[in-house]
Amino acid sequence: MAIEIIDAELCSGCGACVEACPMDVIRMGDGGDVAVIRYEADCMMCELCVIDCPEDAITVTPFAVSPPVRSWG
Amino acid sequence: MKEVSTVTDVLVVGGGMAGSFAAIRARQQGADVVVVDKGHVSRSGSTPYPKNMMVFDPGARGHDLERWMGEVALTGEYLNDRAWTEVVLRESRQVFDQLVSWGVGFRKDADGRILRNWGVSGGIESVQLEADSLAPTLRGQLLRHGISIVERVMLTELIVADNRVLGAVGVSTINEVVHVFTAKAVVLCTGASSFKPYGFPLGSVTGDGVAMAYRAGVEITGKEFYDTHATSARHPADVRYLSMERPSGQMPPLGLRTAEGETIELPGPTTLLPEFEAHAGRAPLTPVGPGPGAPSPCDAGPGPDAMVGGAGLGYGGVGEGIWPADGHCGSSLPGLFSAGEACGTRVVGARYPGGGWGVPSAGVTGDRAGRGAAAWAVGAETEPIDGGIVAALTASALAPLRRNGGFGPDWVTQMLRNTVAPYYVLGIGKGDRLEAVLTLVGFMRDHLVPRLMARDAHELRKAHETRNMVLNAEMKLRAALFRTESRGTHYREDFPARSDPDWLAWVVLADRDGHMTPARREIPRDWWPDLALPYGSRYPLAFPGEDRPDETRQPLGAPAQGDDDGRQGGVAGGD
Repeated sequence: MAIEIIDAELCSGCGACVEACPMDVIRMGDGGDVAVIRYEADCMMCELCVIDCPEDAITVTPFAVSPPVRSWG
Repeated sequence: MKEVSTVTDVLVVGGGMAGSFAAIRARQQGADVVVVDKGHVSRSGSTPYPKNMMVFDPGARGHDLERWMGEVALTGEYLNDRAWTEVVLRESRQVFDQLVSWGVGFRKDADGRILRNWGVSGGIESVQLEADSLAPTLRGQLLRHGISIVERVMLTELIVADNRVLGAVGVSTINEVVHVFTAKAVVLCTGASSFKPYGFPLGSVTGDGVAMAYRAGVEITGKEFYDTHATSARHPADVRYLSMERPSGQMPPLGLRTAEGETIELPGPTTLLPEFEAHAGRAPLTPVGPGPGAPSPCDAGPGPDAMVGGAGLGYGGVGEGIWPADGHCGSSLPGLFSAGEACGTRVVGARYPGGGWGVPSAGVTGDRAGRGAAAWAVGAETEPIDGGIVAALTASALAPLRRNGGFGPDWVTQMLRNTVAPYYVLGIGKGDRLEAVLTLVGFMRDHLVPRLMARDAHELRKAHETRNMVLNAEMKLRAALFRTESRGTHYREDFPARSDPDWLAWVVLADRDGHMTPARREIPRDWWPDLALPYGSRYPLAFPGEDRPDETRQPLGAPAQGDDDGRQGGVAGGD
């Protein structure tokens, strides 16, 4: 499912991945201390967050989150 | 609703390669410059990803301008604007030197010399960028030059009055905030136009600048061409997983093994060959690479992958976009400039030749547009903007947030992609199919886009991207319908060959009284191929089913050699 994990144990809350994401998938969590995956379906697997994470806390897999084709909505 | 106002001389939209060059050059000419980006500068658009950079180096062995010009004309099938091709070739070395001076890394050999690789199109040479060196270096240079950067703001509309651009309106992608920019000149460096395909990281490259320019009445060119890229059948969402079959022993050419077990050589420049093979029923196709070599870092699992289509979808390659009205990438709208892949220089013509043209083109056009915009801004006054115009533009920018009902941008994008993505529309086209899809896209434009809704600022960005992608789809379909021939990466089953001299012309699209209207721009006769040459010599890359009396090599997508039905094979033979 694209970006799968931001490991809360490893995340230092620096926000580098939030800045890096071209698709605005990642935001700081409500507590402001760790980054969280907010809009996972928009992940395009560029892995810029993985490159920029100083803690190696992010896992990206090649599986996209794709909504089922539906007739409206 | 909070509103943030910014006043500057030059507004540069997009902070990638082109935007960075434009901003820095304009600043060096004394203009105040603001760069606005819907992502984070250095992590936005296509600039984080290029590997190769074409550099023409006068005096270096094999660097012969006339020969390189000839190569581009041949692969681009005479639809390159030779003036722009020559400018990009001649100025590519300056761009390279500038990047080196800023500290951008290029791959070197053991002796410390920058590696050169001969390009795929007949000996055009390129150098190789070190991974993730270009974009962060450009960001550092923007800041060093005192350029203001506004991020996570997506511009939605140019402000135009009295036939002049006066600025732009946009929205934050993270908060409900409206941004109004007043500028003497605007440089659109917003990249190419894609449909958020799976496979390549093109999800933010939605043609926003080209769409804004079109809505402001500016002419758009090059939309009928198609940059086809296949992806991995195992993991279609990530093209890096497309692994190759690497036979040991003798080095095979880079090619495709068809379902019938035959290996077809892949020419270097972009062609529709995989589409033709799939259309003829010979998929799955398996890429065959030079062996044995080191496995790519993404080689995952046992055996090579089959290919499927779809990556890079909608992306027309280098040089489609806003028609440049002068050598400084100005447009028909005074004060509006463009650079990089939003600028329709047609530098490589009807197909992408390979070998890294995006980076030098973006540098050269960014440099020129930055100088042009600064010169314009020096002579212009900051015009007061009519409050009524701004109120109307901000209301329409926010409209998707205000709707309680309607259609979500994800669904409309999904419908658009499923309508235009199949190879038989923009890849291997035909008049009736293009008309049918245009009818559906017209419905999306008239009925779905005006009812797009957004739950938050993140979705508001996507709503505007969706609107721009629907417009881009209409442009690609109308341009493809208008060009009643096949050439480069534009193919029509109902017009399956190049038509000289009728279509030695470019297609431009513009809004005329509310209708998207195509028109021709003639290619200067000096740039035509020698029409006395046999067709096969003018066009060495064959389409299936062409009558090529002087042709001896295997046409693209035709059945195996020795098959008596060869000339009838491929696409044109059956429907």
